[in-house]
Amino acid sequence: MIKNSKILQLLAILFAFTLVTAACGDDDDSSSSASETTESAESSDDEVTLTQDGESLLDTVQARGTLNCGVSGAAVAFSTLDPSGEMVGFDADFCRAVAAAVLGDASAVNFVSLTAAERFTAVQSGDIDVLMRNTTWTQSRDTDVGMDFGPTTYYDGQQLMAKASDGFSGSSTVADLAGATICTNAGTTTEKNIGDAAVAAGIEINLQTYEDFDIVTDNFISGACDVVTTDGSALVGRKAQQQPEGEEWVIFPGAPISKEPLGPTYGQNDSKWADAVNWTVYATIIASEKGINSGNAASVVGNDSFDAEAQRLMGGEGELQSLMGLAPDAFQKVIAQVGNYDEIYSRNLNPVGLTRDGSSNAGWEAGGLIYAPPAR
Amino acid sequence: MNEPTILKVTSQSEEVSRSPREWVRKNLFANIPNTVLTLVFGAVAIYAIRALLGFILSGERRWGAVATNMRLLMAQGYPADQFVRVWFTLGSLMALTGLTLAAWRAAGRLSIGKISIWVMNTGAIFALFAVIAPISWASRIGWLIAAAILLSIGLGLWFGLRGEKKRPSGSVPTVWFAFGLLGVLVLSLWTVPFGHYAFVEGEFIAESGRTVATSTKLPFTVMWLILIGAYLFGVLIRERIPGSRAKGFLIALWFLSPFILNWIVLRDPDFDYAHIASTDIPLALLFAIGGGLALYLLSKPDLGEIGRIVAIGFLLFAVFNWIAAFFGWYPMLQKVRISFVLLALAALISPNFASDRKTRLRFVTGWIVLIAVSHWLVTAINSPSTLELQGPTYLGGFSLTLFVAVLTLLLSFPLGVLLALGRTSSMPIARVLSTVYIESIRGVPLITILFFFSNILPLFLPEGMEIAELAAIVTGYTLFSAAYLAENVRGGLQSVMRGQYEAADAIGLTTSQRTGFIIVPQALRVSIPPLVGQAIGVFKETSLVAIVGAFDLLRIAAYVVPAQTEFLGVKREGLLLISAIYFIVAFSMSKYSQKLEERVGLGER
Repeated sequence: MIKNSKILQLLAILFAFTLVTAACGDDDDSSSSASETTESAESSDDEVTLTQDGESLLDTVQARGTLNCGVSGAAVAFSTLDPSGEMVGFDADFCRAVAAAVLGDASAVNFVSLTAAERFTAVQSGDIDVLMRNTTWTQSRDTDVGMDFGPTTYYDGQQLMAKASDGFSGSSTVADLAGATICTNAGTTTEKNIGDAAVAAGIEINLQTYEDFDIVTDNFISGACDVVTTDGSALVGRKAQQQPEGEEWVIFPGAPISKEPLGPTYGQNDSKWADAVNWTVYATIIASEKGINSGNAASVVGNDSFDAEAQRLMGGEGELQSLMGLAPDAFQKVIAQVGNYDEIYSRNLNPVGLTRDGSSNAGWEAGGLIYAPPAR
Repeated sequence: MNEPTILKVTSQSEEVSRSPREWVRKNLFANIPNTVLTLVFGAVAIYAIRALLGFILSGERRWGAVATNMRLLMAQGYPADQFVRVWFTLGSLMALTGLTLAAWRAAGRLSIGKISIWVMNTGAIFALFAVIAPISWASRIGWLIAAAILLSIGLGLWFGLRGEKKRPSGSVPTVWFAFGLLGVLVLSLWTVPFGHYAFVEGEFIAESGRTVATSTKLPFTVMWLILIGAYLFGVLIRERIPGSRAKGFLIALWFLSPFILNWIVLRDPDFDYAHIASTDIPLALLFAIGGGLALYLLSKPDLGEIGRIVAIGFLLFAVFNWIAAFFGWYPMLQKVRISFVLLALAALISPNFASDRKTRLRFVTGWIVLIAVSHWLVTAINSPSTLELQGPTYLGGFSLTLFVAVLTLLLSFPLGVLLALGRTSSMPIARVLSTVYIESIRGVPLITILFFFSNILPLFLPEGMEIAELAAIVTGYTLFSAAYLAENVRGGLQSVMRGQYEAADAIGLTTSQRTGFIIVPQALRVSIPPLVGQAIGVFKETSLVAIVGAFDLLRIAAYVVPAQTEFLGVKREGLLLISAIYFIVAFSMSKYSQKLEERVGLGER
């Protein structure tokens, strides 16, 4: 005969088993509506396909009601957790913009934090719908890796930073680096780029790599490194936050030694979903050009001071959003809930010292590269 | 035969007669090389401590970054307005701890002599701190005064309660001493100006020179009161309840608490009541009644082999359901599949209850309770959460570290013991399978396994079947840890003498009885040190879950806080704090294992 206490312990072990299987298993029991859809999916003998015929990710996301957006979670000013645990930053805001366009609610985002190693697998396995993880658009990623890239939201490029007291200035070039100790973080393309640039300039450099850029910066401050190099956006952030008083750090060369266009990334061959993401980005850019911001977005339609393109984009007469499978006022919600491109940029990147004026990220009218096709 | 006794007497008498001065002379300055070593290492130690203290106390350190992010480090993005759930969770654990202490009659006592030595040691450390820390003279005097107070309290205790043998007599219960110590810590929250740092609605608040926010100190005070209250309550009622039943109940609660607290309390499932009434309750009733009847019949005493055959049939059917679901042959609710597995397992153990009617009815009652609670929990797990999060999953920071470690240990322990038994068993299939499993898992790094479960596995799962990130992490980690655990347990199994097996056989025990009552207990006793080492390893290596994007304690301290615009590059402070947290947890585990080894007499006999 088994004692009561033994029965209780036995029960507990069985519970533990139940719960683990329940947690690991599928969600077919969740609620009446959800269970129906998954049951039918389960009973059909579909193979695992990334994009089914006829059904776009857009429909899946709208049926699900939340957007799974892949971000870094530890990229200064692009995506990071604030002390209250909220995901903030430039990339995070574009996730919210897509959610606002597709679902009408900027807060309907499920942020998935990804490391650089797993970001593309996460797209392929369907863990995330769109990747906003400062990912550079390259030929191999676009073709071989099986990704498609949306419009570039931020034009970055690798630059160098040194102390003015060491004789460097904003007009210095790679050729001035001869004999200097250059530091960067290991395992990224920055290491390769600076090596290539040095060979092209015909100089010898002393390259040292560290685990991450916090350590690189510490060594730069202490003087162990003469020059540090990484993406320009990160350098400006470091300069704004960590430059000691009485010291002058300079960033050069004016034209970066590499091109790093960053933008949304998603699985290939799903143009309906690609259109929804791309035009969300374009809408923020056009709104920025037309002077539509989060304050006046709701009052554009029917307001004569805005032109016909602005009216259409905000859901007025002749709008094109319905043809894309979005709500007529989808982009109005994007601008009202998240803001236009300029607002998103200023909110996240100005605090770390990155300004649009004069950079590649100025609007095309101001000599920059931020450009959107017309909405008509 | 008498030798051990003699040794014991001499060692004891030596300890009593030795004064501190003699101890120092004998151990630190015995001869010239010894003296040189003592001086050199003393100097190095003082230099290192001074450097560390200088680092901690330096004006360049931005401890505000850590203080502001304390919530992030502990519970990540748990919504502030729902934080009462976190406190409820902690409170439940405190109550369980208090009740457990009472039920197991934690009767240890600390002698006043020992306490007075501790107090004096603390005073000495304060004095040392005041002397070597690079701090202002005013605070140095403050620390010296504190040291003097502590030293005089210690000396007062030592001499005031001095008994007959030159040592103070009397003792206090260890439990109350620990409660008192925690009370002092709680009191310090109310009195010591640690500073108030917070981040409220986008605004940073940093006020040094005042005590921590009420939203911190009040809950911690309540936690302390709950701990003491639960202990007192346990002491009051423990005489009225049979000890074994109370202990069994508490063990069951400890087993269940991680699941209930995580999925019900913290996650707050959004139940769909219409669906529950139409599907969930009828299903549960069906399984409770039908399964109960089947089990009642299966536990009939004179059933013989038929019972076993039926149980195996149940098991095959239950396993087949999972295979069918994987390939999508026919639809079946996950809950039903789980229930069939449970029924099969219960049917397998039903011969153990083949006794009088009362026992069989109790077995059936247990089954009905199991179905009720497990169906409720499965429904809760599969209901969407009501929490609105503006970041990644709600578990993060220390809570994630703790959750993953506790769950992994809880689940990998039984699996590891089974694998060890399989590897040492005489059945070739079990032996080969266990060996292949253990060796192949041990041949793969943990990072690879985590990556596989988190990223690759979803590619193989059929359409519509998802695996939650956290479940993937815990599953992978459990499978990994079980392989290592199995080898530790196997070491213990090999140390059990052959005679034990033969003796068990001689008195007519079955194989399962021999394993469960004779072999495994002895093997586990021997394996305590490596098992605790493994447990500490599991706890520390939870930091590797960062590789699949989870925000554990280390990732938040090392990568998230330094990435915040406000605290760009502030990294060392967080790392120092989390090393302290890791150290405290790992050190307590190791201390506990020492106590456990002492209790089971390991290394003595």
